Amino acid sequence: MKLMLTIAWRNILRHRGKSLVIGAILFTGAFLMTVGNGVITGMAAGVETNIVNGFMGDVVLVSDAQKSDNILLPLMGSSIEPITSYKRIKPILAAQPYIRHALPVGKNLAMMLDEKTDTPGFAYLIGADFEEYRKMFPDNFKVTEGRYPRPGERAMLFPTFARGEFYNFYNIWFLPEGGAVVKEHLSKEALAAGAALPVSSSVVMMGMTSGINSTNDLRFPIKGIVEYKALNQIFGHFCLVDIESYRECLGYFTAADMAAQVPKEEKKLLALEGADLDSMFGGEDMMVSGAGAAREKKKAAPSGAAKTAEDGTYNAVFIKLNPGATYKRALASLNAALTQGQAGVRAVSWNKASGPIGSMAVIIKVALFLFVTLLFCVAVIIIVNTLTMAAIERTAEIGMMRAIGAHKTFIAGMFLGETAILSAVFGGFGITAGVVAVRVIPLFRITTTNDILQILYGGNFFHPLLSLSGVALTVLQLLAVTVAAALYPMRVAGGITPLEAIARD
Amino acid sequence: MNIIEIKDLKKDYPLGNTIVPALRGVDLSVAEGDFMSIIGPSGSGKTTLLNVIGCIDFATHGSVKVGGLEITALDDRRVTDIRLHKIGFIFQTFNLIPVLNVIENIEFPLLLMKRTAAEARKRASQLAEEVGLNDHVRHRPAELSGGQRQRVAIARALVTNPDIVLADEPTANLDSVTGASILELMKRMNEIEKTTFIFSTHDANVLKYARRIVKIKDGLIEGAPAAA
Repeated sequence: MKLMLTIAWRNILRHRGKSLVIGAILFTGAFLMTVGNGVITGMAAGVETNIVNGFMGDVVLVSDAQKSDNILLPLMGSSIEPITSYKRIKPILAAQPYIRHALPVGKNLAMMLDEKTDTPGFAYLIGADFEEYRKMFPDNFKVTEGRYPRPGERAMLFPTFARGEFYNFYNIWFLPEGGAVVKEHLSKEALAAGAALPVSSSVVMMGMTSGINSTNDLRFPIKGIVEYKALNQIFGHFCLVDIESYRECLGYFTAADMAAQVPKEEKKLLALEGADLDSMFGGEDMMVSGAGAAREKKKAAPSGAAKTAEDGTYNAVFIKLNPGATYKRALASLNAALTQGQAGVRAVSWNKASGPIGSMAVIIKVALFLFVTLLFCVAVIIIVNTLTMAAIERTAEIGMMRAIGAHKTFIAGMFLGETAILSAVFGGFGITAGVVAVRVIPLFRITTTNDILQILYGGNFFHPLLSLSGVALTVLQLLAVTVAAALYPMRVAGGITPLEAIARD
Repeated sequence: MNIIEIKDLKKDYPLGNTIVPALRGVDLSVAEGDFMSIIGPSGSGKTTLLNVIGCIDFATHGSVKVGGLEITALDDRRVTDIRLHKIGFIFQTFNLIPVLNVIENIEFPLLLMKRTAAEARKRASQLAEEVGLNDHVRHRPAELSGGQRQRVAIARALVTNPDIVLADEPTANLDSVTGASILELMKRMNEIEKTTFIFSTHDANVLKYARRIVKIKDGLIEGAPAAA
């Protein structure tokens, strides 16, 4: 072994030019592989952290009637099926030791109505109890203007990104109630309007999803303007509103409806046994407004009276797991408990629930992986070519070694040794440089406002991340390159016969 | 005792669609400790004969026994072991390992045989002294003259105490004075180490050093005297 490595090392020094070419390839490959792995890991960790900690938790409960698991940005804004059984779900969740926090929310598309032009726009609404929302996501956004709503207050928190978008669409700059225009916060377009900038501190919205077609329109007072700390361009499409307003807007039963009206209807139902029950549901007192809402109410109405917000309709339950909980096991256990409890909902992972964002993250991850693999292949081809040329050039030397008793394995080992030494030295430097780069890049706080790049960055700024396993993966990749690159030259060199060496003389 | 027994050895080389016979039925016996020269014009088959004896090339037909072992039907691993343990080679163009110095080149076969580094170094130093290269043991082949390189090759060929040393035109790339000194050295080593030497040449001046001369022409031995 020592002899083999001695010859290998001296051959490297003897053929400095070729060694430097191979070394440079290995250095570049190892560097890019390390940084690539850092980007992949950073992106995966960033997307997970930002979605899990900042938007929807680890696990999301959706109705069994919900066809797609994707509830974040569903195709064509299709509606998210209502969940009317939260009272039955809550004790099931409370019995699961791995669950840290659960937040029932309403989540659907709403049409934003412009009172001047009647031109509709669209925004996603998240309806939640503000206090509970803050407990679940304590620092996912900052209030840049106005204030956070008080408990039980009817309110909307309007995201900065949506404000800019809606200004371009409606020419209205939304402000929090009692707030003034903050010049530094104006978009380029809004700034151009100068003193004539039209402002509003409320917005009229109507639940408008493909499944509901509610005609309920509701004025939301804007209490605060918020900016998500990460992925603001994606999460910035979502306006946070109180759950009762959300339900009214979407035409769902509110908690107030349930407490005040359902018992009365139940009495009627009980009195009219066998009568035309349909006529019951056509009654004005049952309706908030519109046939669509009535249909949803029929669909969503639970039996029995209700008195708290939890009796009303939701669309999803965001769940955070305890630190250290085994994700897959928790998901399986929770689904088993929900099935057994006939909760009418199923648990899905955050990456499935986040739909296109999760898919985009996977696509980018695959693309980066393919890039690294391509890099691999190019490096392998160039090294194979260079080493094979070296083997052929050294036919006389190799043949002579074979003639005086060196086995094929010795020759092959010598070539593997050369490649291994080059990989260890240049690849080692490449990995070290890559690790340094991955550590240094976040210090520059490279930011982006591009949606795709934000996913690639795993947040608002580029933050590649390397774990010990990431470095180990790069070392394994380098090892694979070394072996793959040495295989063919080893075969060529091992195949050289003493006779060829003599013939070459 | 004969160290080499060859019977009806034939070797053909395909050349396009034709077969070129290099050896056409060679019968030869070589006694242990002999210092034998194979002579003949270019293309007569002397190198082919040395290659077959040295397990570098394979016979098309016939029997070749080295040290009593039939070598014509052995696989690559076995013939490599025979080359390592039983045969030493001296090439026309020296063929030293350029990245190793004199002493490392000499000890190379011993290290292939898994001898300890100390043992290998001791034996290599002894041979370096015997071939007169004591002052050059740290030199790389590129730093040596042709004669010095061939001395290294001789030492390397003898370092494993082989049964036979095969030398193909060992003086062809040397001037006459150096060539003579190399042959003197080979002869001396033959006497000291009692190793059988077979060398090919077409240089008439070389012949005076041979104890036995075998003439080869057109792939056949001419008038070879019987082995002892």
